[in-house]
Amino acid sequence: MTIIHNRPLDDIAETAPTIAGNAFTRAFSGGSLWRLIGMLVLILILGFLTIYPLAMLLYGSLHSTPPGMAGEFNLNGYRSIMTTQNLIVLANTIGISLAKTIPSLTIAVFLAWIVARTDTPFRGTLEVLITLPFFIPPILTAMAWGMLANPQVGVINMVWRWATGATDPLVNIYSYGGVIWHMCQYSIPFLFLFMVDAFRAMDPSLEESSRMCGASRWTTFRKITLLLMLPVLTSSFMLSFIKGIETFESALFFGLPAGIKVITTDIYESINHRATPDYQYATSLSFAIMGLMFLLVIWQWWMLRGKSFQTVTGKGFRPSVMELGPWRWVTFAFCVLFFFITVVLPIGQLMLGSFFRFFGFYTYDMLTLEHYRAVFANSEFWRAVRNTMVLGLLGATATMALGAIVAYISVRTRWRGRNLVDSMAWLPWMMPGMVLGVGFLWAFAMLPGPIPIYGTIWALLLAYIALGTPVSVRVMTGAYHQLSYDLEECSRVHGASWFQTMWRIMVALAWPAFAVGWVLTFFGIMRELSASILLYSVGSETLAVVLMKLWANGNAEQVSVIGLMMMLLVIVFRWVQLSFIKSRISKL
Amino acid sequence: MASVTLENVSRMYGAVTAVDNVNLKIKSGEFVTLLGPSGCGKTTTLRMVAGLEKNTGGRIAIGDNVVSDSEKGYFVPSERRRLGMVFQSYAIWPHMTVFDNVAYPLRIRRRPDKEINDRVMNALRLVEMEQYAERPSPALSGGQQQRVAIARALVFEPEVLLLDEPLSNLDARLRTQMGDDFRALQQRLKITALYVTHDQAEAMALSDRVVVMHGGKILQVGAPEEIYRRPENRQVAAFFGTPNLLNATVKDCRPNGGQYYKLSVEGQGWSGDCHAATEMPKGADVTVMVRPENLHVRDAGQVNGDLSWAGEVSQAIFRGSHRSIMVKTPAQTLHVEASSLSHVDIGRPVTVAAPVEAAWAVRN
Ligand SMILES: Nc1ncnc2c1ncn2[C@@H]1O[C@H](COP(=O)(O)OP(=O)(O)OP(=O)(O)O)[C@@H](O)[C@H]1O
Ligand SMILES: [Mg+2]
Repeated sequence: MTIIHNRPLDDIAETAPTIAGNAFTRAFSGGSLWRLIGMLVLILILGFLTIYPLAMLLYGSLHSTPPGMAGEFNLNGYRSIMTTQNLIVLANTIGISLAKTIPSLTIAVFLAWIVARTDTPFRGTLEVLITLPFFIPPILTAMAWGMLANPQVGVINMVWRWATGATDPLVNIYSYGGVIWHMCQYSIPFLFLFMVDAFRAMDPSLEESSRMCGASRWTTFRKITLLLMLPVLTSSFMLSFIKGIETFESALFFGLPAGIKVITTDIYESINHRATPDYQYATSLSFAIMGLMFLLVIWQWWMLRGKSFQTVTGKGFRPSVMELGPWRWVTFAFCVLFFFITVVLPIGQLMLGSFFRFFGFYTYDMLTLEHYRAVFANSEFWRAVRNTMVLGLLGATATMALGAIVAYISVRTRWRGRNLVDSMAWLPWMMPGMVLGVGFLWAFAMLPGPIPIYGTIWALLLAYIALGTPVSVRVMTGAYHQLSYDLEECSRVHGASWFQTMWRIMVALAWPAFAVGWVLTFFGIMRELSASILLYSVGSETLAVVLMKLWANGNAEQVSVIGLMMMLLVIVFRWVQLSFIKSRISKL
Repeated sequence: MASVTLENVSRMYGAVTAVDNVNLKIKSGEFVTLLGPSGCGKTTTLRMVAGLEKNTGGRIAIGDNVVSDSEKGYFVPSERRRLGMVFQSYAIWPHMTVFDNVAYPLRIRRRPDKEINDRVMNALRLVEMEQYAERPSPALSGGQQQRVAIARALVFEPEVLLLDEPLSNLDARLRTQMGDDFRALQQRLKITALYVTHDQAEAMALSDRVVVMHGGKILQVGAPEEIYRRPENRQVAAFFGTPNLLNATVKDCRPNGGQYYKLSVEGQGWSGDCHAATEMPKGADVTVMVRPENLHVRDAGQVNGDLSWAGEVSQAIFRGSHRSIMVKTPAQTLHVEASSLSHVDIGRPVTVAAPVEAAWAVRN
């Protein structure tokens, strides 16, 4: 028998094929040199944004003096954080985070179930309303609640006293409860957003068959729905817990006045509230908290290993919803109540505060517009508006561009170094804003003289980009996963170069996700306080920083005015996002 | 249109050899199909020609130009190979209209607008899609998407057209029709086409030559009829349909005047003549292949010179276009495809017969 596949080649090559192109094009065929240069530049940028501040943090924690001053290397920093007092701080941090995660998760699950799985009326609108608090900077709600639930002059307590004749306040926001209460307001919509798609994607027949077996709604919810959701619940829990440890605003506003310290506020205090800033203490503590975060991330990874994440199929698949009967008005009321407490009350308080001469004295003759006039005449305010806008626009664009590139390389190429790039971009995930702020403080101070970043708006920009990159990478990764490789390869085969393919196919197809991520990052920047407060200087204040300064001066009235403006901005942006982007893609 | 040459082309994924030392020459204007079971390396071969995958061994030439040579480390990226490709998923870009999709290869090459317009409309006319030019591409049915994908692959007159199971997402009727249309188009334009499929009927109907692959290797290359009627080994024989494969021993072997040999063989309870490609020594063990559609059921004892087996009907299944009849013989159960009009009773003794031309022997 002849063996065809080893037939001699003479009938194959009639004319000897030639190799086209000269030596140069041959050496660089496939663009490997450009790819190498590109990867190096990317690694340098990411290195500067993540590794460098981290290294400086380590340096700072081991060095006795701030950068540029003669000093020595020692372990005094680490020795000084090993105190019983700090054990309490640690216990506070973990305890508060746990205490807010559990109720937040419970309520978020309930809300997600209501919106995704029941016939509650106006679910679509409710969903938009419920998620709104996620987009409101926590500093605004903190200030509003500081006024609402102030034990002496808070509206809630004044109404309570007036209604019952009691002399003791009903609520005191300056307490453990207050800190947790405030954290929940942000956590619940965050967790809701994280989970609601998983609830939506669940096959309803799994629930229905439980009902057919004689289980009540409640039993079905507990035994079927919840258990099916276990992987996403676990990851939500871990995420919320980690975020809780990073939180700064709640503990700053409501914890510090009551003497409740957590790690982030402790770092902040050791730099800003001491006669001489104790940098070595702050950096050591920062490093310690990063160690804690690292352990948590490892734990998270360990808990979730093997468990599949939510896979949102949802292609024209409209799961049937559970009919609640008259109970649907109860669930409706619950959602409205949530919206009322987390959005209407704070906005109402800010309005109240902005129109009266003095905060806490709400009588007719105290009505005034003078705070609006004062704010609008304040050049610092306008500068902050400009700074925030510039930082938001530039920061969101740069962060998303970086995220888009990193995600592309790690998801869609097999280039060497892609894992390195990916993990470098993930590093800030383990760094609370406060810690990254301290790291950058050092990093900028250690830069050689001719690069004056410290004290400029660029310092903030770089920190924001670093902080936002993990989220932007995640958003873009999701987007790329949904685009089939064929779309890209087809373009290459039909003559488009790598860059042309990027531009005409990938960018064109991924931009909706890019836009969603952009808005998220923009909100993130508007919200950012912990890194800003360390890195700003005169001239580069953001709105959040200006608010902080006014608040510290006891100017609650002007705070209300600015807060109201920011609220307005948030609502306008969210509205634009929903009406222009949501129509084209699934929401985030 | 250009030829395509693969010389000792291999592709390894780690320790896995997806394509193993493949040699193939596709002539200019020829339609060649890669056929084989799932995972045999068809797609990988096609993607290496496309430049979407680098061959780890051997070299590939399109026309007179080498496009990939693994020893010399030379590799021409996809976009410079001047190819057209139809993907299994069609890869119609959802953010463009039909026109934009088809115009893409021309726009990339910066052709003048006038030319783009003419050529795109021409290409669309070719696939009868010109009235859909301004449609957004997601608003197309599967068959229409497939036509657009073909138009896009043809629009700038590529050197070679590559197709990876382009019909597999269509329903059976449309598949046949689109296949025939495409074959006619290919004949008319004299396109060199490399086509991947795992559907034997499709491969037969479309190709000038079929390449049967298995486990990354080429088993046989030949015209459809050649491969179907005169497979080189048992594996290729078994790949098409469900042939009857009978074990036998060679009694005699002589040239039949043409390029084949005539054998006299004997099996368990039967004997007769058949053809083979090579000379076989007396006493050699062979497999005789007889296709079910070439077998006939006759009344018991009726023999007239051809191969025949005596047995009894064990099963008869009506399949619409024909009737599958199983006949139990001393050698083995034979599968016969009879006319659907014929009627046989189960348990009836019969003789199964086949003409000499229908029996083909390959070495075990
Ligand atoms: N990226 C890869 N990594 C490792 N192995 C691969 C890879 N791509 C393909 N293979 C392996 O190479 C072999 C050939 O794959 P190929 O896709 O060419 O098969 P195919 O003939 O096209 O099959 P099908 O008809 O199912 O499409 C398979 O065994 C497959 O598992
Ligand atoms: Mg394949």
